[in-house]
Formats: sequence, C-alpha cells, structure tokens
Amino acid sequence: MKINFLKYSSFFLIVSGLLTLAGLALIFTKGFRYGIDFAGGNEIQIQFQEMPSLDEIRTFLTEENYGNARVQSFGQDQEILIRMEESKLEKVTELTAKIKERWAGAEIRRVDSVGPQIGSELKRNGILAVCYSLLLILIYLGLRFDYNYAPSAVFCLFHDSILTMAIFSFFDREVNVQTLAAVLAIIGYSLNDTIVTFDRIRENVALYSRKESFAQICNRSLNDVLSRTLLTSITTMMAVLAMWFLTSGVIKDFAFTLGIGVVIGTYSSIYVATPLTVRFQLLKSVVKGH
Amino acid sequence: MFIESNKWRWSIVLGAVLLSVWWMAPQFIDHKGWWVSKEKLVYGLDIQGGLHLVLGVNVDDVLEQKLDRSKNAIVEFLNEENIEVEEHFLKNHIFIKLKDLSQIPQAVQKVEDQYGSLFQVLDSSGGQLELAYSQLQEENIRKEIIDQSIEVIRNRIDEFGVSEPVITAQGGKRILVQLPGIKEAERARELIQKTAHLELSLVSEELSVEELLELIASAEAEGQYSLQSEQSYRAYVQKLNRDLKAKLPPRTAIAFIKDESARTLSAGRSPMLLETDTGLTGDMLEDASVGVGQFGEPLVNFRFGLEGRKIFSAVTAENIGRRIAIVLDGVIKTAPEIKDHLTDRGQITLGSGDRTQMLEEAQMVSTTLRAGALPTNLEQLEERTVGPTLGRDYVAKGRLSAIVAICFVLIFLLLYYRWLGLVADIALSLNIMFLISCLASFGATLTLPGIAGIILTVGMAVDANIIIFERLKEELRKGSSVKLAINEGFSRAFSAILDANITTGIVCLILMYFGTGPIRGFAVTLFCGIITSVFTAIFVSRTILNSLVLHFKLKL
Repeated sequence: MKINFLKYSSFFLIVSGLLTLAGLALIFTKGFRYGIDFAGGNEIQIQFQEMPSLDEIRTFLTEENYGNARVQSFGQDQEILIRMEESKLEKVTELTAKIKERWAGAEIRRVDSVGPQIGSELKRNGILAVCYSLLLILIYLGLRFDYNYAPSAVFCLFHDSILTMAIFSFFDREVNVQTLAAVLAIIGYSLNDTIVTFDRIRENVALYSRKESFAQICNRSLNDVLSRTLLTSITTMMAVLAMWFLTSGVIKDFAFTLGIGVVIGTYSSIYVATPLTVRFQLLKSVVKGH
Repeated sequence: MFIESNKWRWSIVLGAVLLSVWWMAPQFIDHKGWWVSKEKLVYGLDIQGGLHLVLGVNVDDVLEQKLDRSKNAIVEFLNEENIEVEEHFLKNHIFIKLKDLSQIPQAVQKVEDQYGSLFQVLDSSGGQLELAYSQLQEENIRKEIIDQSIEVIRNRIDEFGVSEPVITAQGGKRILVQLPGIKEAERARELIQKTAHLELSLVSEELSVEELLELIASAEAEGQYSLQSEQSYRAYVQKLNRDLKAKLPPRTAIAFIKDESARTLSAGRSPMLLETDTGLTGDMLEDASVGVGQFGEPLVNFRFGLEGRKIFSAVTAENIGRRIAIVLDGVIKTAPEIKDHLTDRGQITLGSGDRTQMLEEAQMVSTTLRAGALPTNLEQLEERTVGPTLGRDYVAKGRLSAIVAICFVLIFLLLYYRWLGLVADIALSLNIMFLISCLASFGATLTLPGIAGIILTVGMAVDANIIIFERLKEELRKGSSVKLAINEGFSRAFSAILDANITTGIVCLILMYFGTGPIRGFAVTLFCGIITSVFTAIFVSRTILNSLVLHFKLKL
C-alpha cells in the first residue's frame, strides 16, 4: 500500500500557512490570559469541607472589600481558586485568615504570590528559551542534514508552537510556566517525528536518486516511516490520556497541551515539513539551473 | 564476533542494573554504608509542601551607605593629617574638595597609603579628589552583602527549626529561601523578613508628641494619603518626612513605635522625632545577647566594633539623660534612656513586668540588634506556599496515572509485536528503573512537572524501539536472514534515533538554563530519560534480542 501524501500538499501547505498567520494574528490581537507566573499577582487555592456556592464566596469577598478578587471552581474536590492582583501580601494573609474563620474546616492548600518584576522576567526567559531552542535546532539540523532540510523543520516547529499557543488564546486557557514547558516538549516531540522522516529521506536519496525525483523519494520515505509515526503517536497518546484522566491541576493541564501537540506535531511532520523540503529543493535546483 | 560480543553486552547490562539498584537503594532502605548510595531523590516543594520565597536584596543602596560612611572616615582622617577639606559629596564616587590646592599631591599620597587596599584615586585634577572602590573590592563587598544576608536568614531559620532549608543566592541581588514541610508559613516568612536595617538615633525632644501628631494629620490631609493607602510602611514614612521636611527641626525625622503587630502598625501609632545624624548604625555593632541583671531580671548586652566605639562614646558622653531609639527598618523597637557615659559596651534594661514577657522582649531586642549588624533591605519578590496535603494528593494521582500509562504501553507493545514486544517491554521496564535511579544518583528534586516528564518519557522512550522494530520487520520482508535483519535494523535506525534525541536534548538543556524550579525539574527528568532510553533501546534490547535469536532459535 502506498499513499500519495504529496498529492494535496499545496493545499495543506496553504491551509497551514493561513492557520499560522491567523494564529499569529490571534496571539497579537487577543493575546493570552496569563497566569500569575507571568502576570504577577496572588493565587489562593482553598479546599472546603462543605463546598459553598461560588456566589456565596463572591458575596463574602465583596463584603470584605476584596471586590477585585476572582473566584473559580477548581478540579472536582470541593476546591476553589481565588485570584487577586493585590500587591500587598498582608492582604492575602488577612483574607486567608478570614476565610478560615468564616468556613470551618477550610484548608488553605496553596498560596502563590509573584511580584511583577519576577513575572516579566519569567516571560522574557520563556520567550528567550523558545527562540534559542529554535535557533540551535536550525544550526544542528543544518550541520547534520542540509540547509534545505533545516528551515522547513524549523518552520514546522514554529507552526506547531504558534498553533498550540493560538489554541490557548482562542479558548482563553491560562498560560503559565508549565504551558511553556509543555510547548517545548511539543517542539521536542514534533522534531522527533520530523527527523525520523528526514533521516529516511536522506537514506533513500542515496539509494533511489537515479530512478526517482526528489518528490517521489520524499513520498516513498513518508510511507516507509508511516507505521512508526502512527505507533509512536499511539503510545505517547496513551501516556497523555492516562495523565489527562487520572490527574488534576498542573499535570492535567500539561497533558492537555501535550495532547494537542501530539496531534499537531504528527500532522505537521507529514504535511508541512516534508512538502516544504520538496519545495526548498525545487527552489535550489531552479536557482542552480540559471 | 557476534556471539563473543554478546557476553560482554550482558555484563554491561548487568553492571548497569546493579549500579541502578545501588543508586535506588536509599529510596527503600534507611541504612548507611558503602552498599547504599548517599544521594536520594528529594521531593520538591510542590509535592511535600512548604514555603518558597524569593527575596530581593537592595545591594546598591547598601553599597552607597558603605561608601558614604567611608567618605566621612576619609574626611576625618584628612583633617587629622592637617589637610583641610572644603567640600565633600557622593555621586557614584567619593568627591573631596580641598581648601588648599597645593595639598592635593600630599592628600593623594596619604589616602593611598591609608586606604589603598580599598579605594583607588581616579582623578586628582580640578582641585578635587575622586575616589572609588577598586572593581575587585566592589565585587567583594557586593558578595559580602549577599552572604551576610544569607547567613542572617539561615540563623533565623535555624532558630525556627526547619529540616533541610535551602537558602542560596540567586544571581547577584536575590536570595532564594525554601523551607520544605513547614506548617507555619506565615510566621516563618515574618521571621525571615524582619531582617532589616538597624539604626540607633537620639530622640529629639524639640517637639512634643501632640505637636507631632498634629503635623502628621495636617500632612496627611494635605497630601490625601494614609498608611493604609500606601504600598508599605516605609513608603508612607518616606512620604511623610518629605512633606514635613520644612516644618521639622533640621536633621530630624519622624518614626513610629510599634507595639504589637509589626506588620500592620495597627496597635501602636505613637510618633517620635529622631535625630538623623547620630551616626550609629547596626553594622557597627559587634554582638548582642540576652543577659541577666543583678536581681535576675533579663536584659540585653551589646558591644560595638572598632568603628562604632568612638561615635558611641561621644554620643553617650554628651547626652546622658536623653533617650536613644533602636530603629529597625524605620520602626522604633524600643527607646532606652542613656544612663551613663559608655565606651564600647552597654546594657539595655527593660521595664518591669512579667518575667517571661521581659525575657521575650529581651530576646526580641537582642535579635534585632544582631540582625542589625546587617544593613540590608529585603524585598519579597515571589512567594509560594503549598499546604502539606495538596502535594500528597497530586503524587498519589501522578503515581496512579504513571502506572496506568506504563501498563497500557506494555500491553500494547506485547499485543502488537509479540516476541519483539516482550523485548521492548523488558527494555521499557529497565528504562524506567534506570531513569529513577539516575535521578536519585545526583539527588535530583522530583517536582510535579518532573513526574509529567517521567510519564512523557514512557510514551516517547518506546519510539526508539518502534523505529528499530519497524526497520527490522522491513528488512525481514525484503527477505534478509534474521541475523542480518537485526544488524541492519539496529544500524540503520541508529542515526535517526541519535539525531532525534540530541535535538530533544538541546531543548532540555535550554530549559535547564532558562527555567526555574519546577521547569528545571521537568527538563532534568526528560534529559535523563533521553539518555536512559537511548541506552536501553539501542543496547539493552539488542542484547536481549541477540540471545533470543541465537540461543533460543527464536523465529521472528
């Protein structure tokens, strides 16, 4: 069985390109809902013995002059999360004391408070981490393969991370330090896929370059590694789903991001990275021809 | 050659297993000896609960204060040497203008002789000396300031009795404090943050308390602010003093006595007028301790260092009968009366009252004085408190999901690959064991993202095996013999596996460099996972496969 992956590659490339542009537009216009890691502020996680309604808590907060605090339910375990942009930590301490007084048995499970200085620094470091990762990958691939493979691999990674982040922006999911780690894990995963394909193309070029065109070789290689691509996606998905269903909080969010990443990463190594390489190769031969 | 090398292969695999058992042992046995590795996996704060604080140290301010003090000492020194100083000021560096310009070369000489190890004379043209710390000296002082702060925080925490606290410098201006498993996070935080600037200032009697209160009320009304509306107590007092500067006697400032709640200043609001040029700061103090008076009552002993003695002696000689305030971080802790002319050491007696109360106060004052030996302001930049039960829940869930993920993958591989699947299963199990022992070997901290990293490794580690097996099957389909197929499968898959893992490794290294805390934990686990999974997929599974095929004549 042989699938002609490249048959509709122009279509997929255009769709992916448009999606990336749309993603960028969304990120720059709508932006993200940053968690306190990046935005600064305070976050209190409370577990009640008997869960009061969220409205009850909101009324209480307004009465106690914490009108700007936001409440949301958290997980399934009678937990809530209060977020406030209050800069004075004493106020947070005060509030936790008041809550403990009002609801007997309420347990303060976690208090995070991040100053604005640290927040912007974390943001800067996050962006730097992604940029340096992409740059070093570009260099490494350029050295190990060829410079017509490297840019398509990096564009593919760029595509993956932009789309993942755009999904965060679109669904208003909170972006925090863990999201960043997950995005980098996605970059790692998608890259893994892409490199396995490229490795096969490199090998097949040596074997078939007399008989077949570069595009044909690429398609042959995609078919060669297809079973591996699917199998690895399945096992990784198993791990991700186990995390998603059985955990809560940090790890669950992490699993969500990874799950999206596995899907996008698998798609992009087949329909973005390889077709792009074919086009780069074409461009190169045209330039050489002249 | 094929068979020969397999014996070696098994020895290496066995060695790796033994090593990992040795590394893992301390997780399960509480015993010390050569047969148990010393390092152990530590749970991160997000798992075992505790307090995480990042404190900013205002190093630049402290440096300037030190510079100012040195400037005064140099001016005094020059005066003693009969070189008259007309003007002196600070502007990043020390500037000293002399009355008699012809004395400049002489002054340069004297300063270099006396202070050459500390300062360098940058410029002596234009009728003035410009002095600055040598670069090395400045670096040393900066480091000292951080080290001092760390030491004081450590002392405080030792008093509090936390096991395995982490107190380290983070960059040149920050201190990271981690107190695992602490239950009274609020008290601990207050204790740490009380470390601050100490001054001893004479209390001015030029204005009465009533007059002061009136002035404060007028300033608040005029500027429309109050303590509650300001960012912090310090900001409030600064604003107040700036607004009242014209109305207060020269070289004085207002500060408040706090009675009970040091943080909110709600309990006591009695102002005092302090002379700002007394010149005694906490870092001139050498030591302070709680002692016992002649009737067995608790009191505080203190002693000044060389630098402070002269000033202290002069101050006490001229001001017997007046009060001297001990001001910590702009807040008056206590204001004892000067009873006698003192030179280098003295005692602070406390009022009368309950003995335990007096003892507590004596302890408070002496700790204040001791902490005052370090004139730094600590600013809280980040705080994370995790209750003790939260992490336990997370770990239980994390462990369950890890086990489920592993079982699913093991069963899937077995069903899909049969005998090859068994090989992959053994390799995967060993991989997890290697990964955990590898992390334990350098006492890594296991955080929640770290657990996610382990689970992710489980999913991705099999990738290497899958690449190899798919290749192997392909070779078999082409009609190669089993032996040849194994050889080809492994050697062809090698480059793909290597390139893929090196690039993921690059991402991990970058995360380790830029990430903090939990993220670094994730990167470390993933990085270890890469190394162990490459080893198990390429080396261990091939060894097992070789044996299966050669000794048990397995048909694939």
